[in-house]
Amino acid sequence: MSDTSPILELRNVDAAYGKVKSLHGISIRVAPGEVVALIGANGAGKSTTLRAISGLLAPTAGDIQFEGRSIAGRRPDLIVRGGIAHCPEERHVWPDLTVQENLHLGAYLCRDKGEVAKREEMVLQRFPRLRERAKQAAGTLSGGEQQMLAIGRALMSAPKLLLLDEPSLGLSPVITMEVLSVIRDLRDQGITIVLVEQNVHNALSVASRAYVLSTGRVVAEDSGAALLNNAEVLRAYLSG
Amino acid sequence: MVFERNFLLAAFAVAVLVPLVVQGEYAMHIGVLIMFSVMLATSFNLIVGYVGELPLGHTAFLGIGAYVAALLSSTFGLAFHWTLICAAVIAAIFGLFIGAITLRLRGPFFVIVTLCFAEVLRLIANNWIDLTNGPMGISGIPKPDWAMSGDVLQQKVSFYYVGIGLAAITLYLSYRFVYSNIGRAAIAVRENRFVAQSVGIWPFYFGLVTFVLAAAISGVAGGYYAYYVSFVGPEVFGFSFMISMLIMVLAGGKGTLVGPVVGAVLVVLLEEFLRDFKDLRFSIFGLVVVAVVLFLPQGLMGFITKRHEAYKVRQARDA
Repeated sequence: MSDTSPILELRNVDAAYGKVKSLHGISIRVAPGEVVALIGANGAGKSTTLRAISGLLAPTAGDIQFEGRSIAGRRPDLIVRGGIAHCPEERHVWPDLTVQENLHLGAYLCRDKGEVAKREEMVLQRFPRLRERAKQAAGTLSGGEQQMLAIGRALMSAPKLLLLDEPSLGLSPVITMEVLSVIRDLRDQGITIVLVEQNVHNALSVASRAYVLSTGRVVAEDSGAALLNNAEVLRAYLSG
Repeated sequence: MVFERNFLLAAFAVAVLVPLVVQGEYAMHIGVLIMFSVMLATSFNLIVGYVGELPLGHTAFLGIGAYVAALLSSTFGLAFHWTLICAAVIAAIFGLFIGAITLRLRGPFFVIVTLCFAEVLRLIANNWIDLTNGPMGISGIPKPDWAMSGDVLQQKVSFYYVGIGLAAITLYLSYRFVYSNIGRAAIAVRENRFVAQSVGIWPFYFGLVTFVLAAAISGVAGGYYAYYVSFVGPEVFGFSFMISMLIMVLAGGKGTLVGPVVGAVLVVLLEEFLRDFKDLRFSIFGLVVVAVVLFLPQGLMGFITKRHEAYKVRQARDA
């Protein structure tokens, strides 16, 4: 990573679900415009890390800084207001609401109707399939389309930092390629992305750097290419 | 949305026309009970159906409204509309206070704590004899101006029409609320709390706004009720009103605006109809409720909506 000051920095963050501690002193730095991947096996703490960043789970110790200000333990809606959008895992959409309603709710904090329409147009240009299905209930979309909708909804808040939790989960290889190319596009647009992935090759094909997590700790950190060549790390922590 | 609006407008028209066709004190009495129940069920449904929590002490606001109306009218001689406005405001203030505490809790904890509030208020009403006259209650609430003249039938008709007006205002406010930004946020929270938070919705805030609105509506319903029966006792905080509300909303279909209206009409009519069965009344009533929960878990309106959607899908496929 270059010497520019990070847009996001986690310092020794601990987090717990009730009494079960699931993050032990996670430290991560993300530079503006970077795509950083968090990889690791099931239960390594990847999703929990994202939840700590977006405020869905308040950290029990440590500090999280976004654009130089501490956001640790703040209310999630204030964090969204600050410019962080979290696209949760299992591509949760509101199944009974239409595609368009889902998108509009994504821009919930934006009171300017013209601005919402502009963002909606941008999202629909990126995902033409959503335009075709704008009036359909989101629950009737295919898995890939729902993932597109979930990402589109996150983009509706015009985030500076996008947290993507396993966007390729359960998708066919073709759709996964599509999702990855969307991530590359967003990166080229200058949106900073933290990407959680189980599939190392997918993650490293878009991320410039990656952190390897295991049982709530960062066990390795390197550029994507270096990690891919580091067979030992891959075997040890990712069983592949 | 369009269906709900049309249904409610049609129901309003029918309600207005009923006294021209059906006459008699008894019919009007049932009409008044239906209007009261519509308000109560709509208010309860705002929390059950849109916040997604079960406020088992919702009678707190009904009782507050009833006592406020009774005290202000009998002690200070305030006019009907002013007492009703006061009932709404004071119930809303209590709603703000109780909601600010209870909405931090979820599930069974929310249920129990709201229930406790209603129970505490019932005990206060029972024991603060200087203010509430204790278990004797407040009787002799003066009739509103518009119900002074005429015979008993005429008075009941007046109460019925005022009830329609209040129920219409209730439903109009609820309609505007549910289809506003706040209402959409409330639905987003109900459907998926985490996703709602991830797009920047603060669930507590929307829960609280809904809670206050529901409390105000219940307060008005309580005030209306107090005037109609011209007596208020601690039993307005009791559990029987609670059970009626619950059944109306469950049977009609929670989370829709039409459901509670249908439920209120059904439950009031069923309660009256079952009077013929005397002691068996509540047993039969219980069986009907069990049947609804088993066979129509989404309530009557949920069932109809589902059939309607299935029909549309079939049509689209055949076309």
